[in-house]
Amino acid sequence: MKVDIRELGQFNHLASQGAERAAESLSQLAGVQMDVDVTDVSLVTENVLAETFTDRSFVGVELGLEGGLEGETVLAFERERAMKLQDLLMGVTDNGDSEERLAKSSVTELGNIMIGGFIDGWANHLDTAINMTPPRYTEANGPRILPDQAIEAAKKHGVFLFESKLTGMDVDLDFSLYMLPEYRQFVQLLSGNDQGNQIPVNRLSTFEELAKEGAGNAADQIGMMTGLDTTVDVSRLRFVPLGGVPKQVGNDQFVGVVFELTGLPSGYLVVLFGEDSATTIANAMMPGGGAEEEIGEMTEGAIKELGNIMTSGFIDGWANVLQTSIEHSPPNFVHDMGESIMSPVVGKLGQQQDYAFVIDSTIEIDGNTGQCDIYALPNERELARALSALPARD
Amino acid sequence: MTRDRRRADSPPTKQVGIAEYAVVTDNTRLSTSGVGSCLGIVLRDGFNDVSGLIHVMLPTAAESRDGNPAKFVDTGLPLLIEKMVEAGASKRRLEGWVVGGSEMLSFSSDGDSIGSRNIAAAKQAFEHYGIDVAGTDVGGGHGRSIRFDPADESVVIQTADDNTTQTI
Repeated sequence: MKVDIRELGQFNHLASQGAERAAESLSQLAGVQMDVDVTDVSLVTENVLAETFTDRSFVGVELGLEGGLEGETVLAFERERAMKLQDLLMGVTDNGDSEERLAKSSVTELGNIMIGGFIDGWANHLDTAINMTPPRYTEANGPRILPDQAIEAAKKHGVFLFESKLTGMDVDLDFSLYMLPEYRQFVQLLSGNDQGNQIPVNRLSTFEELAKEGAGNAADQIGMMTGLDTTVDVSRLRFVPLGGVPKQVGNDQFVGVVFELTGLPSGYLVVLFGEDSATTIANAMMPGGGAEEEIGEMTEGAIKELGNIMTSGFIDGWANVLQTSIEHSPPNFVHDMGESIMSPVVGKLGQQQDYAFVIDSTIEIDGNTGQCDIYALPNERELARALSALPARD
Repeated sequence: MTRDRRRADSPPTKQVGIAEYAVVTDNTRLSTSGVGSCLGIVLRDGFNDVSGLIHVMLPTAAESRDGNPAKFVDTGLPLLIEKMVEAGASKRRLEGWVVGGSEMLSFSSDGDSIGSRNIAAAKQAFEHYGIDVAGTDVGGGHGRSIRFDPADESVVIQTADDNTTQTI
């Protein structure tokens, strides 16, 4: 089965609009103004679900969808944030005892209304009725906040996960809306007619595995150059509106390198270190050399050199599997706010596309002391072409 | 902690993302981050108290195949003007601020950078619509975050260098 990336974009747009409507509902109900940060969709495996939700405790409202769109929708708050929301709803004072008072009914009702707003646009787009089952209040740790069916599907063939993050404009409140459509029906909905924009759905997960391997190679390179322990923490292939890419990176200060990729697919690869991680790495790469306290020429040289090697390792895996040739430019050194670093990258990609496949991988360095994020943004049509051209496999 | 805990002396801040815009008719601050090669353009009609901010990525819609007008200088500016007029602004009273257009990356495949072409397109569009330029902070090789405060019509710009801010 094939998915049309324009259809995927269309559904992403619907989810994004739905999240805006959900935010409006909340604003009317509780007087809380929310911004919808970003909406993305990814085809995730059981492992990715586990990595995404692990070590977090959630309160949520879950309801099923039937009819024109089947699946499950979950509105999830991190537990402590749910208390805040309730305080806002009830206008009560927090006296540290709020766990007892968590009014399930008010949270459930709120979830019901917000999910209703979220789903409205989908029914219009599909020109069919979508029925909602009664909302259920849930509490869980980790991925168990998601419905069992979704976790089962993730084990078998992966599951499409829509995620919208909402953040309070003036209150410290944030939560996520998740939509997990039933796999087979949704893949049918995504099938289009335009050959040039189609990707065989099973290749999407192939590509994700590839990204994982690429990140593994890159992590090994850091280990070899610095002698520090490295592990790949998360690797995920997301489909995001271009404007959402910088938001995912965030606005902390980063030190890193940006590469332009040429070949099939072309695109960009961005390697970012936190400032402290960059200094640690640079010092580890030049033992005995003049250690730098601040980010200077020595750190720049070290990060460029390391970035070059990591990038070669990362894209070698693609070229092998895709049986194409991919080259990278010399490194562009950057030291700036994360969102600004991504601005020219999405600008360049924006000349050809509205959405981006973003592969983001996090490499933990030396336990928790350092971190490196790799963002790969291939040209979407070229990626579709390269994946489609692969020989069929069972 | 009550629902009224928002302090009256601190107006809310509306975040505007890339290829998005916002129009307000009160003292809500308008903010956007990640302005690298992109531009943040603020328009204001102080008489009618209408303010707008748009975060555009590219100079002209003609060089892309997609249809979101808020992504481009040449289609984004008229879109923002239109929405502000709908909200009660008068076209001839508009003044504007332009921030961004830096050159952070250079690749061999580049002609002119996106940043400098964005600045040129904004200059042309301001002239075309007859909008007075109240302030600019453009070019360079660094990113910016900006926040517009309608109350005193100031644009506060934050850069990564020493984490400094300046106001135009």
